[in-house]
Amino acid sequence: MDHLIFEVGTALILVALAAILANKLNFSIIPFLIILGMVVGPHAPTIGIIDLKFIESTPFIEFLGRIGVLFLLFYLGLEFSIGKLIRSGKSIVTGGSIYILINFTLGLLFAFIMGFPLKEILIIAGIITISSSAIVAKVLVDLRRTGNAETELILGIIMFEDIFLAVYLSVISGLILGDSTSLIGSVTSVLIAFGYMLLFFIIARKATPFLNKILNIASNEIFIIVIFSSLFFIAGFSETIHVAEAIGALLLGLVFSETNQGERIEHLVVPFRDFFGAIFFFSFGLSIDPLALGGAVWLALGAVAITIIGNFVAGMIAGRKAGLSHKASSNIGLTIVSRGEFSIIMANLGMAGGLMTILQPFSALYVLILAILGPILTKESGKIYKQLNKVFKWKIPEKVESLK
Amino acid sequence: MNIRERDLPGIGRKFETITNNKDKVVIIIHDDGRREMYHYDDDDYEESISNVTFNDSEARQIAGILGGMVYKPKELETIELAFDDLMIEWYKVESGASILGKSIGEIDIRSNYSINVIAIMKKNKEKLLNPGPEAFLEAGDMVIISGERKNVKKAIKDLFSTGGG
Repeated sequence: MDHLIFEVGTALILVALAAILANKLNFSIIPFLIILGMVVGPHAPTIGIIDLKFIESTPFIEFLGRIGVLFLLFYLGLEFSIGKLIRSGKSIVTGGSIYILINFTLGLLFAFIMGFPLKEILIIAGIITISSSAIVAKVLVDLRRTGNAETELILGIIMFEDIFLAVYLSVISGLILGDSTSLIGSVTSVLIAFGYMLLFFIIARKATPFLNKILNIASNEIFIIVIFSSLFFIAGFSETIHVAEAIGALLLGLVFSETNQGERIEHLVVPFRDFFGAIFFFSFGLSIDPLALGGAVWLALGAVAITIIGNFVAGMIAGRKAGLSHKASSNIGLTIVSRGEFSIIMANLGMAGGLMTILQPFSALYVLILAILGPILTKESGKIYKQLNKVFKWKIPEKVESLK
Repeated sequence: MNIRERDLPGIGRKFETITNNKDKVVIIIHDDGRREMYHYDDDDYEESISNVTFNDSEARQIAGILGGMVYKPKELETIELAFDDLMIEWYKVESGASILGKSIGEIDIRSNYSINVIAIMKKNKEKLLNPGPEAFLEAGDMVIISGERKNVKKAIKDLFSTGGG
């Protein structure tokens, strides 16, 4: 008998319960859904008519998860705006550059010292560099820190990271998914990815009036069909030329963000991003054998330590450069340390490219630790600052004349 | 008053000011419509000592109260609520004004003058909130309009004061 809908329904009920639990405990849903995915699966029992193995439905759940990635990155593209970055001011560009420089370098070094080959190094560095926009924004709102002086810089750095992620993903997806049997093949793949990206940038610049005309559709029903069909088509097409489908979604989002329907599309996409994104986190957990986690423990712990130190130092330098006090600056690193959706997307790309299988348990553990520890560090940043102040003897915070 | 505005990507927009009284106040308008207001310690502008959250309709009502739209302080002759170029103005319609005898819709204030009539307080204290196009004005009515400064000034000159037109 075909129980597909029932299996998917069971999975969704579990996802919903995990999400409710996460909300009750006031945590991001991401770590909960990954753990849930790991707990169920082929090794799980069948209870009465409820089958927790999800054998029949796994390919289908995976497919829904893939759609989740498309929506996550499509939304990222919609939000992405060079104009916003330019308007945001010098301290954010400086802060963002400092952050990327320190943490990306640390990521590369860490993976290199651990003896990984080049492609794995690039993926691990990516996993380590990119904070979770979703968790950071949630924590700042929950802790009522949105009014603080350092929050502007934190969100600016996050925005900077997102832009870095967009470019970085585009380039390395060419390298990882493309022909890599020879050096020339690899270079060609990267160039194709780069050219493809450039093409979209040009379309975004030049074709906006034309797109405005096409997208000027009053009916929401037809509008959503047009938008989603182009999303799936472009994403799928990208795959055929060895550019990750997620990048196709991102680049399309970028083009749409330049049109006058950008905001309407954003509103439209949010519920789909949330729903399919949740399935993506679950299906990522489902793809991981919990017994394989053991082999990645030390690697993940090492990466966590490096991330915390790298983020803290980068936040300190960026904050002080922007004229914030030591206390406010220490908040920066302790906030952007959370990891989530983008690290998993990065690991997923490695999976799609058939890289070493340890990347999965590694990224799962790494994200689990930092998705839970990150918000705790943020919450306790005051106490951590006090302890550190005893060691480093920063003076008592002076008044910041932020309006000068 | 110097108001500093900044984008908070992913959250909304931030407005920050230090009042004459040396109170630092920060207002966050969330993308989802919530508003938050923070008040900071006088001696340490990094320590928030209190905050409140309003939903959209609460925020609008409180804005109305703060802005004097609900209760107009007796001391003030005309109130200007200026925010950049956008303002709200109270004006008592003069007896020779050109709008007398015509409805708001007839003049098509919204498209001809790019302003909005928010409310009319009739002489008999009756309040017309969000008056429709059929509303008439009489001399002595208080009209409350909003729009850009130059448009508001022009509308007052042309429509509501004596000798306009």
